[in-house]
Amino acid sequence: MAGAGSGNKNKGSASSSSSSSSSSSGSGTSANNKYLGSLSLITFAVLLIAWLTGFLSRLFSVIRFESIIHEFDPWFNYRATAFMVEHDFYKFLNWFDDRAWYPLGRIVGGTVYPGLMITSGSIHYILSLLNIPVHIRDICVFLAPVFSGLTAIATYFLTKEIWSPGAGLFAAGFIAIVPGYISRSVAGSYDNEGIAIFALQLTYYFWVRSVKSGSIFWASATALSYFYMVSAWGGYVFIINLIPLHVFVLLLMGRFSHRIYTAYTTFFVLGLILSMQIPFVGFQPVRTSEHMASAGVFALLNAVAFLKYLQRFLTKSEFRNFFILASAAAAGIVFVTVVGLTYAGFIAPWSGRFYSLWDTGYAKIHIPIIASVSEHQPTTWFSLFFDLHILVTTFPVGIWYCIKNINDERVFIVLYALFAAYFAGVMVRLILTLTPVVCVLSAIAFSSLFELYLKDDENPQNDQAGKNEHLYDEAGKVRKMPHEQSKDENSIGGNLRIIVLIAVLFILLLFAVHCTWVTSNAYSSPSVVLATYDQSGRQILDDFREAYFWLWQNTDDNARIMSWWDYGYQIAGMGNRTTLVDNNTWNNSHIALVGKAMSSTEPKAYEIMTSLDVDYVLVIFGGLIGYSGDDINKFLWMVRIAEGEHPQDIRESDYFTAKGEYRVDEEASQTMLNCLMYKLSYYRFGDVRIGGYTGFDRTRNAVIGNKNIDLTYLEEAYTSEHWLVRIYRVKKPWEFNRPRIPRSSRKIKTKANVTKKTSKKRKDAQNGVQRSNNLLLYTYKVLRMVAAVKAPQV
Amino acid sequence: MVVFSLALFSYFLVTAGVIYDVIVEPPGVGSTVDERGVSRPVAFMPYRVNGQYILEGLASSFLFTIGGLGFIILYRTHNTGGTYKSHSSLGFYLMTSVGFICVLVSVLTTHIFMKMKLPGYYLHP
Repeated sequence: MAGAGSGNKNKGSASSSSSSSSSSSGSGTSANNKYLGSLSLITFAVLLIAWLTGFLSRLFSVIRFESIIHEFDPWFNYRATAFMVEHDFYKFLNWFDDRAWYPLGRIVGGTVYPGLMITSGSIHYILSLLNIPVHIRDICVFLAPVFSGLTAIATYFLTKEIWSPGAGLFAAGFIAIVPGYISRSVAGSYDNEGIAIFALQLTYYFWVRSVKSGSIFWASATALSYFYMVSAWGGYVFIINLIPLHVFVLLLMGRFSHRIYTAYTTFFVLGLILSMQIPFVGFQPVRTSEHMASAGVFALLNAVAFLKYLQRFLTKSEFRNFFILASAAAAGIVFVTVVGLTYAGFIAPWSGRFYSLWDTGYAKIHIPIIASVSEHQPTTWFSLFFDLHILVTTFPVGIWYCIKNINDERVFIVLYALFAAYFAGVMVRLILTLTPVVCVLSAIAFSSLFELYLKDDENPQNDQAGKNEHLYDEAGKVRKMPHEQSKDENSIGGNLRIIVLIAVLFILLLFAVHCTWVTSNAYSSPSVVLATYDQSGRQILDDFREAYFWLWQNTDDNARIMSWWDYGYQIAGMGNRTTLVDNNTWNNSHIALVGKAMSSTEPKAYEIMTSLDVDYVLVIFGGLIGYSGDDINKFLWMVRIAEGEHPQDIRESDYFTAKGEYRVDEEASQTMLNCLMYKLSYYRFGDVRIGGYTGFDRTRNAVIGNKNIDLTYLEEAYTSEHWLVRIYRVKKPWEFNRPRIPRSSRKIKTKANVTKKTSKKRKDAQNGVQRSNNLLLYTYKVLRMVAAVKAPQV
Repeated sequence: MVVFSLALFSYFLVTAGVIYDVIVEPPGVGSTVDERGVSRPVAFMPYRVNGQYILEGLASSFLFTIGGLGFIILYRTHNTGGTYKSHSSLGFYLMTSVGFICVLVSVLTTHIFMKMKLPGYYLHP
């Protein structure tokens, strides 16, 4: 529990520094100089500790397991990075991956956010220039933990701009260990989010900076950081909608200023051009509805600036009328243009993924492929509490402080908070975008509280210094005035104050312990290697890698593996074989075809499989060891997705019992008991005896309904140690439609055999092309004949 | 203040998982059958991180809000230009303890909820 220890330490130092920084700001510039050295030292130390804590507490999985890439998507990112490092960047951009989405293939360079690969690739490049040999895998594994430290620093600066340096240190400490962020950035979870949250915080910091200063320099920095964000993660859409919203709300509040005008116009133009440089994004920023808000606000801002200019020449009453007319006209024109362009087809309407954020039931009805992903489920209270713990309660307090002392940049953080909170409620995955703002606002809450409750003891000295307090908007100073006037009356509160302080520190300690516990128990499993705990200790289930290794070693290099899309990246990454569908779910109908094959009967599935040239089928089966994330549990989604494309063949209701339950035991429907997925999962499982039953499925706590499963068109090729992965070979057409003749009744005519051979030879001489086509068939038949000839002699 | 109340209310709804309730439509309170065959209501859906009953969500969200209000009270007692302080020291004491108790109750109760939800919480090797 090293993480917990240092986490507490971190909290402690953050609180003390917040108090010291506020006291120095209270006592004027001379004191500021006096404390400058120790202040910077404390800031530096706290940030360093935050970085170290964040880094170390993300290493649980490396220590418990090994330095390995986790889960699903990271395997593709790793494969792409390895490809880029092995070849070069332009090869990577033009990479056509023919081992995915057979027979379609995938244009990788144009369908990927390359920021992640470029980041780790350049780190690798720099290290190799310095003659430090590091395997690219290790860079990929440790990239996210290292970036979490950078995120902490960016958060410190953001909070410092919005509130005070003390709150910044708190925020850095929070974001370093908060589980909502750790869930996406443990070592080995090599995914876009790991670097994107850093880019997000940095962009917001630069944005707040540029709104405050109105300088082109900071606005350009915002655009550059936004460019990095666009290259890293699709969540950049959040930024390009939030910043225009901020500007829009500021306009509504009558807070237009030339600082905002400069900041936004610079950012918008540069950001637009830069974001279009990413191949995957391309022309989307000018063509899709997600980006139209930014363009609309750009037009509106210019209109308002123009009106402000006109205001100089008009009288008040004239201007009022004119203003109403003009703003209505401007808003109307923008709206009509966008709607008209959308209607005419120049602008694509909202894509389903974004649409489902507003109309929450939309995905469930129309796009099962989006609704099927577990991280796209709506959030429960528990997920929020699990990921944020005490920060959930202090988050509104931070909003309260910000609304109470509102200024331009606090409008931004409040908007960010509200929207992120809503989105986090819609999708579990978006807790990630909520987490940074929760850390910022909670930090503000804690920092202000500590400022108040620690301040009182040093009142007498600070009394005279209270005059300096109306400096530029340092929030902490304004509030001190009334407080200091009334302190004589509440000197009795000293003990109470200490009790409150101790309790709050205790809460922070609880938070740190919770974070470490959650990180260690919930978020540090690679999910490629599973571990179970019992009285004899830890047991490692390494079935996935075992099976993928088998695929790699024992199948043809061009063998095509059919599996549900979840395992596509892993098969490509670890097994190095061609897959039909993978986690880049861009082609719904292809996935639906695989889903249809899995949910049809064996003969029908065989037709689909031969048409797709499938050689092997891979299913994940957890019934033997009680692993709940297996294919039978995901099966309903396969049915639903297949039904979406082939409603005449597949109906979801067929797979339920009469009562409408989803079961695998005797009560299950015939369609369920005879579909391919059921058969492949439970083949030979009826012979296994667990706890007095045969064929007892431990995941679903039921004895299976069909214990005598025969396979005609497929044969079992490999089953891993704990039956977690089962691989079946699809038979060739000539392998199963030949009735097997018992050995005793076989009649062999040696003479006929010879003549047949010669006749075939003659035919071959005539038609060489056909021969090569039938070569496999031919050799197979010859071998069979030889075997048949030999058999009676022995 | 109006803006903040609206924000707090919507936040209350979000943390209660109301969106989840709308989409998934879980029952208000679950029920289980104990060994005597009697059906008993269960407020919490155990072991499931991404599943909940409507009531548990509202209860926990209520506690979160209480905790937040506690913090605000703690702050205001010390910082409203002596609204409470100038009246009497008793009022000051009272408000501080109210805020304090709100925070503590919220934290401790959510902790208990957490244990009901995940029985193995903090007990892992």
